[in-house]
Amino acid sequence: MRRIILGCVILVSMTWAKSVPVANDALYQKECASCHFGYQPALLNASGWQKVMGNLQDHFGTDASLSQKEHDAILTYVTQNAGNSKLTQGNTTMRISQSPYFIKEHRRIPERLIDQPEVKSLSQCAACHTKAEQGDYSERNIVIPNYGRWE
Amino acid sequence: MKKIFLTLSCSAVVLLAQEFNAPMQAYMNELAKEAKTQNASFERFDAKRGERIFTSKHVGKKGQEMACTSCHTVNLKQSGSNLNTNKTIAPLAPSANKARLTDVAEVQKWLRRNFNDVYHREGSALEKGDVLTYLINQ
Ligand code: HEC
Ligand code: HEC
Ligand code: HEC
Repeated sequence: MRRIILGCVILVSMTWAKSVPVANDALYQKECASCHFGYQPALLNASGWQKVMGNLQDHFGTDASLSQKEHDAILTYVTQNAGNSKLTQGNTTMRISQSPYFIKEHRRIPERLIDQPEVKSLSQCAACHTKAEQGDYSERNIVIPNYGRWE
Repeated sequence: MKKIFLTLSCSAVVLLAQEFNAPMQAYMNELAKEAKTQNASFERFDAKRGERIFTSKHVGKKGQEMACTSCHTVNLKQSGSNLNTNKTIAPLAPSANKARLTDVAEVQKWLRRNFNDVYHREGSALEKGDVLTYLINQ
């Protein structure tokens, strides 16, 4: 009986429902959604978040440094809510867009639809996922600028 | 007639000279003191020098030429766009965006980051004071 329950728990935590909980932390929204879309913590695993938070002075070529107090509060928030799903599995980088599942899901999108000014890069989730803010990444809510619905 | 003149000139002064709130003014005074320590001939901050700091190009953190205007544009009353992510940036001019230059911690944080991005180093007290003097009048 114990084993069955355990099996169920693992199954539930690994399921991928094409959606993640919203990033509803006010400090996180203020500090981590000022330059780009506020990535939900569940999009990256805990070790990825530790890498991101470990070098904000040189954050993908830009300075995103924070005071110690804000840094520590955000580190706690993202690691406590970090992801553990198909999307985060096997990702040893600090980019959501480098996870094996992410790469597989996005490999069929033509380069010109990504390079265009309305999108800029695959890091700009909300440019195509119209409900990204709500944590919804399902196919039915994808609209690529100058292309239209993906479905 | 005299009275009308007086009111007119008064409102003109109010329109031209935008003021820092008390905490921001205290921060400006700190910067002035620091600038004076670093260079005894320092007299006051200058908006013209600030404008040059804001519009001139430099080799930034990424090794590319850029300026403050690369993200904030030259028209500070209009929205800008982050050149790294294309995210819209609300206007920097206090006349168009009341929240600007009102929170010392916010201003310090962005000046630290933005000087690092554009100048590949932090700004000096003189540079920060000059650029804020330029911005407050926008
Ligand atoms: C000063 C601007 C700025 C701030 C502030 C900022 N970022 Fe970023 N972030 C960037 C840039 C630029 C990129 C790279 C985007 C690209 O490659 O197109 C990026 C990328 C990322 C990525 C990788 C996205 C991908 O491709 O998977 C993560 C994760 C991230 N940021 C998290 C954060 C977190 C957490 C915070 C708050 C502590 C934060 N960012 C604050 C500018 C910023
Ligand atoms: C250029 C537009 C575009 C951008 C930008 C983009 N995506 Fe996608 N995404 C798509 C498309 C199209 C699909 C569907 C691919 C398919 O099914 O063929 C997809 C699929 C997905 C899926 C798979 C959903 C499932 O079925 O399991 C996830 C999760 C996802 N995207 C998350 C993200 C995240 C997170 C970001 C930002 C880091 C992002 N996407 C950026 C277009 C985009
Ligand atoms: C890479 C893009 C980028 C560059 C280049 C840049 N900024 Fe910014 N700046 C931002 C972003 C993003 C914000 C915060 C977004 C917001 O509050 O809307 C900001 C905010 C500010 C603020 C805070 C204003 C307030 O009170 O809210 C000041 C001051 C500022 N920038 C000055 C500068 C100066 C001076 C330079 C040149 C040394 C510069 N910026 C270059 C992106 C940039």
